[in-house]
Amino acid sequence: MAERYDAVIIGGGHNGLVSAAYLARAGLRTLVLEQRHVLGGAAVTEEVFPGFHFSVASYVVSLLRPEIIRELDLPRHGLDILPLDGTFTPLPDDYLWRVNDHGRTIRELRRWSLSDAEAYEEYGRLMVEMARFIKPILAMVPPDPTGLDIRQFAPLAGLAAAFRRLPDKQQAIFIQLMTMSAADFLRQWFETEPLIATMAASGIIGTFQGVQSPGTAYVLLHHYMGEIDGAFRAWGIPRGGTGAISNAIGSAAREAGAEIRLEAPVERILVRDGRAVGVVLASGEEISAASVLSSVDVRRTFLGLLEPGTLEPGFEAEVRRFKFRGSSGKVNMAVDRLPDFRCLPGQGEHLRGAISFSRSVDDMERAYDDAKYGRWSRRPYIDMIIPTLVDPSMAPPGKHVISCFVQYAPYHLDPSLGTWDDNREAFGDAVIDRIAEDAPNIREIILHRQVLTPLDMERTIGLTEGNIFQGELSLEQLFFNRPVPGYARFRTPIRDLWLCGSATHPGGGIMGANGRIAAMELLRARAGRKVA
Amino acid sequence: MALLGGVTSRTWDAIVIGAGHNGLVAAAYLAKSGLRVLVLERRARIGGIADTVEIAPGVMAPGIIPTVGRLRPSVVRELDLRAHGLRLIAPDVRVFAPQPDGRAITLWADLDRTVDGLRSLSIRDAAAYMEFERSVRSLGRFLAELNAATPPDIRAARLSDALAGLRLGRSFRGLGRADARAILRVLPMAIADFVAESFETDALRATLATRGIQYTAMGPWSAGTTGVFLNDAAGNDGGAAGPTVYAKGGPGALSAALARAVRAAGGEIRTDAEVIAITTAADRANGVALVSGEEIAARIVVAAHDPKRVLTGLVDPVVLGPGLRWRAANIRTPGTVARINLALSGTPRFAAAGDGPDAAQRLRARIVIAPGIDYLERAFDASKYGRLSEAPYLEATMPSLVDPGLVAGAPAGTQVMSIHLQYAPYALREGSWDDRRDELAEMAVRTLEAYAPGLGSLVTARQVLTPLDLERDHGLSGGHPYHAEPSLDSFFLWRPLLGHARYRLPVDGLYLAGSGAHPGGGITGQPGQNAAREILADWRKRRS
Repeated sequence: MAERYDAVIIGGGHNGLVSAAYLARAGLRTLVLEQRHVLGGAAVTEEVFPGFHFSVASYVVSLLRPEIIRELDLPRHGLDILPLDGTFTPLPDDYLWRVNDHGRTIRELRRWSLSDAEAYEEYGRLMVEMARFIKPILAMVPPDPTGLDIRQFAPLAGLAAAFRRLPDKQQAIFIQLMTMSAADFLRQWFETEPLIATMAASGIIGTFQGVQSPGTAYVLLHHYMGEIDGAFRAWGIPRGGTGAISNAIGSAAREAGAEIRLEAPVERILVRDGRAVGVVLASGEEISAASVLSSVDVRRTFLGLLEPGTLEPGFEAEVRRFKFRGSSGKVNMAVDRLPDFRCLPGQGEHLRGAISFSRSVDDMERAYDDAKYGRWSRRPYIDMIIPTLVDPSMAPPGKHVISCFVQYAPYHLDPSLGTWDDNREAFGDAVIDRIAEDAPNIREIILHRQVLTPLDMERTIGLTEGNIFQGELSLEQLFFNRPVPGYARFRTPIRDLWLCGSATHPGGGIMGANGRIAAMELLRARAGRKVA
Repeated sequence: MALLGGVTSRTWDAIVIGAGHNGLVAAAYLAKSGLRVLVLERRARIGGIADTVEIAPGVMAPGIIPTVGRLRPSVVRELDLRAHGLRLIAPDVRVFAPQPDGRAITLWADLDRTVDGLRSLSIRDAAAYMEFERSVRSLGRFLAELNAATPPDIRAARLSDALAGLRLGRSFRGLGRADARAILRVLPMAIADFVAESFETDALRATLATRGIQYTAMGPWSAGTTGVFLNDAAGNDGGAAGPTVYAKGGPGALSAALARAVRAAGGEIRTDAEVIAITTAADRANGVALVSGEEIAARIVVAAHDPKRVLTGLVDPVVLGPGLRWRAANIRTPGTVARINLALSGTPRFAAAGDGPDAAQRLRARIVIAPGIDYLERAFDASKYGRLSEAPYLEATMPSLVDPGLVAGAPAGTQVMSIHLQYAPYALREGSWDDRRDELAEMAVRTLEAYAPGLGSLVTARQVLTPLDLERDHGLSGGHPYHAEPSLDSFFLWRPLLGHARYRLPVDGLYLAGSGAHPGGGITGQPGQNAAREILADWRKRRS
């Protein structure tokens, strides 16, 4: 073995790159290995059709930790996030349109319900308070509740103290956020069906849950945690697509001295005497390292990259139990005109934000019901973005790209339907049909269409079962249970093998927190070892 | 007002509102400790959900909940309920789940017998059942301790709470690392996932899963239903199959025994006495006002009916304050359960029960109609849209087989069948339950006919209780027999409301002793027992 690295990182997604940047900045000899020809994993921009660039998988950003943007100086490395203004919900003969301009949104809500307009103010204030309270959890290393190391509980104790200082109502709301369904939670304030459905939709993004499933309320908070330039609630898209985020982080990592190799798929993690000592590439090349960090999901890491029999059976059983259940698909379109909505014709501001096809809670639930029985939703929920309206560089002049996040598309189809390869285009047609209900011209304007099923995301990006969060964000797979009870602290049963991807706390989304905390933990461990 | 109604001469130490089983349990404990206790029941009869009713001349059937297997043994012991006439009957069989293909899953009290039977279904599942039973009992034991504990005070952590916390901590460690990790992982899980981790046979998964969704507005894929499942048998000799125990004379006999315990300890019980207000002075509860106009003074008031009704209906909103009133009004009570009681001219024949002595035995079980997880989930789906399930989940019992006294006054051969039907959502999108009562009965009989052909022809009389009836006749908000949904958002520290889970309601001197309090619904007596313990602690403090 020629070279020896301090740290080798498997996977050049945003989390792997964040880890690399922090480790390299700390002076570690760091190498990132990405299987594909492009950097970014799920946060990737590709020219799918000549002249048309797409954020192929992950398409919006709001959770990227501000400390990462700051510490890695990402703007200098080319990160430029453009705000997405508002959410537009088309309806058969009307619409619901919320924008970042609070006053305008309240006026709009008054059209629907005076009490909702009033409640919206109070609700917003409450959610911001909650977001402030919860934020520290995103930077926390989960303790092992069955462990005896009291020090692990210190951060939790601080949180408990903060909790006790909250007013009664906020304490109660926090518990509700952790346990209730998004729809039940929202019904405590609101009565306007499209408002409840559209807000609740954020609770089910990427999960195999419905808006009335317990445990979906929590994600509502993310909308208030998104901090772009410190502005709460703002969602945005990076200039150049989500791949630009990966490239900025990658550039920061390289500047700090990290090496990044593309088209270098890892075949095996080398383990000797119970500790990871390096990796073997598909090419047969061996690379040795003091530490191996895996930013790919737990199934691929532990069942795919390790010599069978390396793991203790109990742990392996827990890994096999870990739930993925991809539930979403993407439909990317190149169009030569903008869609024209029946309820609000023309090319107005309403097209510049998110366009949410979520008329009612019933619609959302019926879409989920299909998935529960192994069918893709006949009338799916769609979150549509037209990035070219804020970033024209993504398409040739005058043309546009449209990105549709679609739910539900269960990875495991009912056998009677055949495989996803048999269903891909029919699923794509269902998405177009749903859009056409509100924007009939959609069929005429499409130049090209790319349909990504959960199977495609597994094949191309390597997301097991196409789960965009590297594992279902259900209550039993969060915090100290993520990914495996007893191993939520980024370490694994194999010494010097670490996890740093979305499979760890605090979960998925373009957040980067996972990669950052993992790197910090690794550095602390090394420091501790030197002392000892 | 007082003059019109007249004020009772004596003032009471404690007034208990509601003579359901928890109200009676609390009253009995308080009376035994020397308090002068008056129980006020709105209805003409005591018992609430634990009642026995005559559905046809000489034919007695359970009121709402047919079995009493979850009743805490300590309640029976400490209140001496056997001396007060309670007789419990536990058949050798727990669950009989006939399947559409004519096979059946039978869960016996005898574990080995159950496992033997499961072999015909799946060798793998039969082997897994033992370990499943073990872990369910282990986790259930811990939950039983949690259920018997008063949720700690999250505000001012007092020494007593710290000690209670330590006790729970000890029993948590007592689980051992594996089970300790398990309970933290599985409590918020969907029951469909939990059973799938152990078993491959859909029918067995579903049969077991029913206890995770019973009396809830959730389906087997809803998060938190594993917690409901584990709680169902917590402490009692339930295990994986769950308890199947009848009270001789029906559930009403339990209430009667409890009433005797109350009276024996010097307490009084008045029926037809509906409370319309809890009176306060200087923000402290000091009695109640009845519909009749009568006002009754007491040092403390103990509410045993549902917390939503107590806080939004009986307490002065000014005393409560807008914040708490908002929270109380949002307590979720989505009733989904209907009960259909049938008088039968003979014993129905379930094809899957086979012949011989075992067949007769099997009908003494809880007869569960839940042929698959998807079947249950689809039944639940309908309720999401305010519809009655096209193919409902049923649990039928035939108490007269174990307790012939129930039909002693009826023609020879008469039997009683009591059917739990889910999902019958309280909030119907079409029609009202008053118009759709018969539909429910026909739905239940039609569903059972597929397993017991000819059942319909045996029906001589029937009684249907819809969620609307449960609300109107029993005062259950939303017709929810558990007073508040047993979901993750209404658990332990936050049942019924965070900051008020210690049986003390936001008004001084006002307590909650019903199923809306920790550890929740079903015939356990645990909320009443826990509430009495807290009430007496405060009482002694005030006296000293």
